[in-house]
Amino acid sequence: MLLPPSDSKIIARRAEIVAALKKIVPDGVVADPSGLATFESDALSAYHQMPLVCVLPSNREQVSAILKYAGEEGVPIVPRGAGTSLSGGALPREDGILIGMGRMKRIIEIDYENGCVVVEPGVTNLNITKAVEANGFYYAPDPSSQVACTIGGNVAENSGGLHCLKYGLTTNNLLGVTLVAPGGEIVTLGGKSGAQGGLDLLGLVTGSEGLLGVVVEVVVKILRKAPVTRTLLASFDSVPAAGACVAAIIADGVVPAAMEFMDRRAAGAIEAYNHPGYPLDAEAILIIDADGVEADVAYAVSRVTDIVAQCGGKTVEATDEKQRARIWSGRKAAFAAMGRLAPDMICMDGTIPRHALPFVLEEMAKLSEQYGLGFCNVFHAGDGNLHPLIIFDTMKPGEFERAEAFGADILRLCVKVGGVLSGEHGIGIEKRDLMTDQFTPEDLAQQGRVKCAFDGQGLFNPGKVFPTLSACIEQGHIHVHGAQLPHPHLPRY
Amino acid sequence: MSKADNLSQVTDYVRAARAGKAPFEIVAGGTRRNVGKPLNGLPLLDVSGLSGILKYEPEELIVTAAPATPLSEINAVLAEKNQRLGFDPADWSKLLKSNGVATLAGAASSDASGSGKLRHGGPRDSLLGFQAVNGLGETIRGGSKVVKNVTGFDLPKLMCGAYGTLAVLTEMTFRVYPKPQQAALLFLADVTPQDGFAVLRKIAHSALEPAGLAYLPAGMMSDVGQGAALIKLEGASQPLQEKIALAHGLLGGGLQRLEADPFPAIGSGEKFADLAGDVWRIMVAPSEAPHVARQFHAQHWLGDWAGGVLWLAAPPVEASRIRKLAADAKGQAMLLRASAESRTLHGLYAPQPPALAALNRAVKAAFDPLFLFNPGRLA
Repeated sequence: MLLPPSDSKIIARRAEIVAALKKIVPDGVVADPSGLATFESDALSAYHQMPLVCVLPSNREQVSAILKYAGEEGVPIVPRGAGTSLSGGALPREDGILIGMGRMKRIIEIDYENGCVVVEPGVTNLNITKAVEANGFYYAPDPSSQVACTIGGNVAENSGGLHCLKYGLTTNNLLGVTLVAPGGEIVTLGGKSGAQGGLDLLGLVTGSEGLLGVVVEVVVKILRKAPVTRTLLASFDSVPAAGACVAAIIADGVVPAAMEFMDRRAAGAIEAYNHPGYPLDAEAILIIDADGVEADVAYAVSRVTDIVAQCGGKTVEATDEKQRARIWSGRKAAFAAMGRLAPDMICMDGTIPRHALPFVLEEMAKLSEQYGLGFCNVFHAGDGNLHPLIIFDTMKPGEFERAEAFGADILRLCVKVGGVLSGEHGIGIEKRDLMTDQFTPEDLAQQGRVKCAFDGQGLFNPGKVFPTLSACIEQGHIHVHGAQLPHPHLPRY
Repeated sequence: MSKADNLSQVTDYVRAARAGKAPFEIVAGGTRRNVGKPLNGLPLLDVSGLSGILKYEPEELIVTAAPATPLSEINAVLAEKNQRLGFDPADWSKLLKSNGVATLAGAASSDASGSGKLRHGGPRDSLLGFQAVNGLGETIRGGSKVVKNVTGFDLPKLMCGAYGTLAVLTEMTFRVYPKPQQAALLFLADVTPQDGFAVLRKIAHSALEPAGLAYLPAGMMSDVGQGAALIKLEGASQPLQEKIALAHGLLGGGLQRLEADPFPAIGSGEKFADLAGDVWRIMVAPSEAPHVARQFHAQHWLGDWAGGVLWLAAPPVEASRIRKLAADAKGQAMLLRASAESRTLHGLYAPQPPALAALNRAVKAAFDPLFLFNPGRLA
């Protein structure tokens, strides 16, 4: 993957840019090489690039001033939360300011009356839950990186997690954000009422991967913790049987809180790593959570148990909270455990219609043979969100390139069966060049024009998400300056 | 009036309109034409022929339909498989005294959620993907036909609540959910707005996953004394009994059973159909509801979504006061039913702050640079 070429004129002005940022954030500019090295990549660590400079604002006025300066001087901006993106969303640019939001980590208000929390973007996902759990509440989206990832990053990526089958993605759990738009204007989208009085720009900004502005405040919904949660471990003699069972459970109308799939290789590696008690003789296992009031959960558990049996599987239930936690600890350690199989791995992310699971699982096995690379499957089966892990060794010539090609073929397969390139990791740079497999040139041009509506200069996270983003002027777009109308003679819509 | 029954006819019409720089009004079932700023006799594009379910996959929990599919049709087809739409579409035709047919795209485009929004969210949480013709006369697709997708910008969100100002929709894919086996209607009578809304918030933030939470003051419902807090719970037989018992426990008794379901008439605004005056929907943080409602004690009103929306019938002269009260409560007052003069004067929503208004206009222009579609409607 290549980023658009850097602008050597901007690089040449580095000292001046650093000085200007120091005026805005005197105590938060990182410009020395060792300091900058911390920021040279995110969780897509195969790609790294030192930023021109990194600035760490501590309030929205500073963010606004930085974006105003960047707009006036034509300097690219790359926003960053905790740097846990798996798609390279926060990969810096040699000619760009990396704006790190980690210092803005205040929980501004906990409002139990309205079931919401107002936070700054640098608050970690898990810290929101920690702030309210003593009162029986939690924040539902739970990406695997929730200990580290920030809510600002979650908004940018529209993060999911284990439990979004029932509770939705980030976008379904937000009431509002405050955004500093390119140029430095501060706009509030939604709020505790959730109402916007116009287009749903909150929905647009969520998942926009840092291309439309920088989020400085977030209002999230919190939910009451379900009184009862029960966990089932189902095992199957074949991968397609487990895939068919997932489809059968969804078709039955049961909505589990989570439904996770692991194949034999993954389960074996995890079992060796932290011994969660997974059966080693099964070709595939499912971990299924049902939550709600007691009778609701009892109903779901009995339905799931019956369906698993019909699909030829066996079910065991976690007998207590300790065993429940142990089963999930294995799933949560999946990536770490997989590290034992090979020196390197990449985690793919695509979604398919659930009925296509058995077919896709078989096709992936064929691709694995074709590329001569091992892989295993750990994924959010309930919503059809695949996370194949391709294992390889970068020290062996050509393996990294083969692994990337294998991954790209898996994603093309997802699109071919009616699915999408990303279920929760985002496009970033990782999948940017595959966007043309999913979208037509007209679709992409439309998204490009939406980008231009916010960022007429194309300064925000350039090189991410879109394979080729033509300059806004070529899109026939007239940049809106300040609050000026693009077509003053036309009625306000 | 022109008619377009398929994608290619829509495309032809839009291209001709573009060439002639001729804005037009998009009409499907026609029930919501009198919502938002009047379009003052623009030519009509009738898309009611773009109707019918295209692909229903009950086992995937999704349905793809043409935009002008009547809500009644889609509800009936889904009910055959014990399913329902992922959002609770509100049919405003009784409120607006329309003889038209409420459609899928009409409900989504006007962000018309009934009382069930509480449980599953609005159209924005349900619309997974769409196909449409933009203002350049191009076919565009946004979103997808799978339930979990973060590929590219989330354009389906923009289509919801845009009142047809961005594109002419030609296909829509929604989530569907299993239909609950049973419902129970409970109410607490003789409670003040202050106490009634507090009860609703308590249930909203419980684990009961309520499907409806409304407060009706005296005069909006018979035999409820000062007012009633209404609670709708859903589930299979046994879980539902457990939820009812839990609700009793949470509120310390006093709950009575109600036989008929009052929520359809609440969520659709039907309760206001025969009341004089302009009809407003005021969206606020639920805890603000009692305070805002107190300002309207002389008028007819009710609160839905546990207080997240107040419905109000008020004389036209009250418009500015209502907008100010909503703004002071950090909410939005939407003018849903009013005369053409009132709607021209006050618009659908209050004017946005300049920077936000500029972004809204720029996004509109990104889809429809010549402002051909329903120009001025969403103001």
